[in-house]
Amino acid sequence: MTRKREIIFSIVRGAMAIMIALLVAMLLIFISADGDSFGEKLSVTAEAMKQLLVGPIFRINATGIKFEGKRLADVFAAMIPTIFTGLSVCVMFAANQFNLGSEGGIMLGAFISAIVAIYMPLPRGLHALVCILAGGLVTGLVMLIPAILKVKLNVSEMVCSLMLNYIIMYIIKYLMNTSYADKSKGQIQTYPFLNSSKLPALSQAPIFTSSKLSWGIVIAVIAVVVMGFFMYRSRWGYQIRMIGINQDFAKYSGMKVGFVIVLSQIIGGFLAGAGGGIEMLGRYPSFSWSALPGYGWTGITVAILAGNNPWFVPLAAFFLAYLGKGCDMMATYANVPTQLIAIVQGVIFLFFAAESFLSRYRQSLVVKTAKEEIAAKMASSEEGGKKDE
Amino acid sequence: MGDGVNREEYIVQMKQISKVYSNGVAANQGVDFNLKKGEIHALMGENGAGKSTLMKMLFGMEQPTSGEIVINGETTVLSSPSVAISKGIGMVHQHFMLVPSLSVAENVVLGMVPKKGIFIDKEKAIEITRENAEKYNLHVEPEMRVADIPVGMKQKVEILKALVRGAKILILDEPTAVLTAQETEELFRELTTLKKEGYTVVFISHKLNEIKEITDRLTIMRNGRSMGVYETKDVSKEDISRLMVGRDVVLNVQKDPAKPTETVLKVRDLEYVNEWNKKMLNKVSFDVRKGEILGIAGVEGNGQKELIDMLFNLNVPDAGTAEVNGRSIIGLPQAKIREMGVSLVPEDRMLYGIAGTASIEENVISDRCAKKELNNGPLFKMSEIHKLSEQLVKDYTVLCKSPAQQVGMLSGGNIQKVVVAREFSNDPALILADQPTRGIDVGATEFIRKKLVELSRSGVAVLLVSADLAEVMELSDSLIVMHNGRIVAYFRDAETLTDEEMGEYMLGLKEQTPEEIRRVCHD
Repeated sequence: MTRKREIIFSIVRGAMAIMIALLVAMLLIFISADGDSFGEKLSVTAEAMKQLLVGPIFRINATGIKFEGKRLADVFAAMIPTIFTGLSVCVMFAANQFNLGSEGGIMLGAFISAIVAIYMPLPRGLHALVCILAGGLVTGLVMLIPAILKVKLNVSEMVCSLMLNYIIMYIIKYLMNTSYADKSKGQIQTYPFLNSSKLPALSQAPIFTSSKLSWGIVIAVIAVVVMGFFMYRSRWGYQIRMIGINQDFAKYSGMKVGFVIVLSQIIGGFLAGAGGGIEMLGRYPSFSWSALPGYGWTGITVAILAGNNPWFVPLAAFFLAYLGKGCDMMATYANVPTQLIAIVQGVIFLFFAAESFLSRYRQSLVVKTAKEEIAAKMASSEEGGKKDE
Repeated sequence: MGDGVNREEYIVQMKQISKVYSNGVAANQGVDFNLKKGEIHALMGENGAGKSTLMKMLFGMEQPTSGEIVINGETTVLSSPSVAISKGIGMVHQHFMLVPSLSVAENVVLGMVPKKGIFIDKEKAIEITRENAEKYNLHVEPEMRVADIPVGMKQKVEILKALVRGAKILILDEPTAVLTAQETEELFRELTTLKKEGYTVVFISHKLNEIKEITDRLTIMRNGRSMGVYETKDVSKEDISRLMVGRDVVLNVQKDPAKPTETVLKVRDLEYVNEWNKKMLNKVSFDVRKGEILGIAGVEGNGQKELIDMLFNLNVPDAGTAEVNGRSIIGLPQAKIREMGVSLVPEDRMLYGIAGTASIEENVISDRCAKKELNNGPLFKMSEIHKLSEQLVKDYTVLCKSPAQQVGMLSGGNIQKVVVAREFSNDPALILADQPTRGIDVGATEFIRKKLVELSRSGVAVLLVSADLAEVMELSDSLIVMHNGRIVAYFRDAETLTDEEMGEYMLGLKEQTPEEIRRVCHD
């Protein structure tokens, strides 16, 4: 199939998945909407859908619809951790390694960064950098566990990393309760981060003046660019992708398959960990996560929506953040349960992940292309064909 | 009148069957095939001749592009295996389709499970299996797990499975390939019993002795066409071999006489026993010299694949050595082997040759992605890569819109050109070409053959493995023939040989003396 048709297909497929998910959402909202008559329910549903679709960045009131920078900033802020976990999952899934450790990874990175932020005084700027790097590096090293077990002993990286998430979580909870607990507080949390470690808010940009959006979003964008180049313009990213497509081919071509598989998971771990640090230092005064934050799971959705392509990660993360904010808005202004987002996400995920969704349409495109090619070939080889007869 | 009788006589008639796969390979072209009730009918031909495709269509696994299938006098569309089964057709595949973790009985009744309430009635399943095993004289252990039973019994389970589902026509795809001599004998006894009871058997094989022993009639296929139907008693083994491996089209490749110089590849006493304890390589020794094409002829499955795998470290031999320019290559990583100038055009191009969903460009740089010329610090020199891929697409006349096109969407011939472009352009000292033109169109075939000759004349050592007799005889300067994992003949000059002679060596009817064979080692 031609590249153009491939792209058209992806877009149609994505749009269809989203449309179906929204329809399902609408139906569910309608069912759960307050109201006695059909009409009443319908108007509640319409209001809710309006909040879901435009609420995340516009304020809707009697006088009309008005753009609101703070809401957009919230959407951006929500994107920061999921961009990082999304990138992390992209790199690992591209190598055909179904490592689910981004979830524990982001928590671990956040915790390590927090410890460095509390106990290792350094000059402003440098401090944040060291925190983030420490979080990333430690997480990258921890990912060696599933990676090496996979390469050396063929242990399923999926099971291993999944279990690892809980090991990480419980170790962190233990440390938070013991050595690193701030006993003066009513809640289980660490001591506050040193000021020098904090990521400043992005208050220079005029539309975000009143928001708490940190410089983390800028780092996230840089990470996207770096990973985009890494995956599509460097020999390592190239090898990761080739191994993901056909490992036998990669081996036969002379690539160091084991090494690259390990490398992809170290990088995946680093990204998740660094993302955790950035999220922590940009948003929280001290470490108080008592459970897995869920960003890793969202990262999987992001990566699948983005087709494991880093360049599409911000789009996918924006879409999910927008949807999340929309659901918050629905909950606040239209009285719709916020849990609905999980269902909407689930439906979209289902249709994206379903390989044969719209496969007939795809087949028709393939056949069309093949027919054109055969016709072209016939035309060009007419002479030669006659000779063979 | 005779016509009318014939129509009655045949229980299956496949008329003018053609099959073109979606990748453009024409596997069957106007094939006629028929079966009489109660016969054992051999379907012969080399790999890639179209036997399996034809039988898959009879079993409903593939649909013919054109042609007609008549079963019991009725034109039938076999849209799926379940339709074929309902028409009394059963197939035993070469690779068994059994669930290893289930018991024999559970496998036999799979899909038609006797139930007791919501549970499987295991007793009943075992009973059914036992009854049928006795009825058809196929000895199996109903309660054992399939994973724990020997290969011969697995095959019986497969046959039972088909019979229990009401098959009157049994298709056996190379049933003896995995069996020992004793198991083969037992199978033949069982098939004879079935025949007496009025069952019809299609027996796919290329083993002449077996065919002569057990079949009544045979259909020979070559290059997707039927070479005719014969009464087994009327044709000699030599006739069969000639019909099977003879050449169709003489492609003329211009070739100067070879001027071989020093030895590049030196293989000594390679031995390998596969996982089914079959000796695939038995003391294989030969040399390939700079500037010559050494061909390996032989019916597929006689150790050629294993040999190539050893030379590219895709498998490890049990004993023996292989050296390229004096350095051992056994067990070296592929990157090192490639560094020494070895290129491989793999037999299975979809498995090893390409990354299907990647672009042509990404496929031609896979062996050199870390090279200095293509990298600028941590990043690729994209302009160089574009230049390289455009050049290769042009030089190797790959029919595509641009190098950015997905390689898996190309036709078989063009995919092979992409593989060849990569393998021939990395300045090789030794090219291992394993079935380089299998299943691709005439144009691409001719192109690849010409390239091979061109490279050999420019001083590359070429080892050519091909089941295509015409190819291996025309291209090779010298030839060795493999049979049963051994080299059975060496011909210094490939041009003096006749097809008949070759056929006899390939099918194991003749063999040279060890001294004659030893001449391939130019010590």
